[in-house]
Amino acid sequence: MSDHESVQQLLALSAAGLLDAGEERLVREHARQCAACAAELEEFAALTAGLSALPLPQPPAYLLAQTSALLAAEADRRQAAFLAGAVAVFALVFVLLIGQTLRTLAGDSAAVVWLGWASITSVLGAASALVLASRRRLERSIV
Amino acid sequence: MIYQAAIDENFPVAEPTQVARLRSGDPAALADAVGLYQHRLYRYFLRLVRDAASADDLFQQTWLHVVRQIHRYDAARSFDTWLFAIAHNAAMDLLRKRPGESLDDREFAIPSRAPDALSAVLAGERAAILAAAMAALPALYREALTLRFEEGMKLEEIAEVTHAPLSTVKSRVQRGLEAMRQKLTRRDLL
Repeated sequence: MSDHESVQQLLALSAAGLLDAGEERLVREHARQCAACAAELEEFAALTAGLSALPLPQPPAYLLAQTSALLAAEADRRQAAFLAGAVAVFALVFVLLIGQTLRTLAGDSAAVVWLGWASITSVLGAASALVLASRRRLERSIV
Repeated sequence: MIYQAAIDENFPVAEPTQVARLRSGDPAALADAVGLYQHRLYRYFLRLVRDAASADDLFQQTWLHVVRQIHRYDAARSFDTWLFAIAHNAAMDLLRKRPGESLDDREFAIPSRAPDALSAVLAGERAAILAAAMAALPALYREALTLRFEEGMKLEEIAEVTHAPLSTVKSRVQRGLEAMRQKLTRRDLL
């Protein structure tokens, strides 16, 4: 490959500022003696300058508000999930402590009845919470 | 960044303190970041997917991903690069699903008349002509050019965003520019 051909392949990258110092020197020295490459380099320079100066497209006005609402809903969901987890752990510890106290004071059967009752109410409570959460999500998506 | 000054007067980047607030889950910091990056991120999506509705969706999807994955962000690295890498993944997922979309067509040719190029020529709008010529390139070339010349990213930053080797990024910039020059000089526009 001749010098001319190898430099020609570097012209676009030179205009893009992506050559190392040695390659850049090679291009500049060659362009001083070669009118065709100098002209091509000019064109690439005009092109890259034009690309750098393209006007910034404006995002639609609603996009920021929509995104903020979406992120607020996500933050809400994450916070609700965290709170639900914390409440569930607290409730479990509470139920077990009461069960243990009943067992000590009134025997195994009282503890079993307590645990059975607590389990049923917990399942019903969790189901209600899920229904309410999904309804709230639906309402938010409609709004 | 070589082209930074030429890009836009408002070339905001998140400060380290803002990024730290973002990582701690501060909603105000998140709102600030969305506002700060809205123009740049929207431009990136618009150049890549070429339609406003998809750009809107990708914009929202990207921020949702940021909220969910911010704990994975390494504060020692550039927030811009991390954000644009998420944006890149989202855009590529969408483009791969689009029928007829060319991501990296090695034998691509710019159509002899880009969709809105003629009207742009008649109106004498050079920027519109350039944007139309860029829009006719395959997606990966459009991406390399917008990240280099509009975002002012260094080669290494583009490589990190696009998960591509440096040589590939260089080649995309080179081929993209060559195709555009060929097209525009043929029509005496350079």
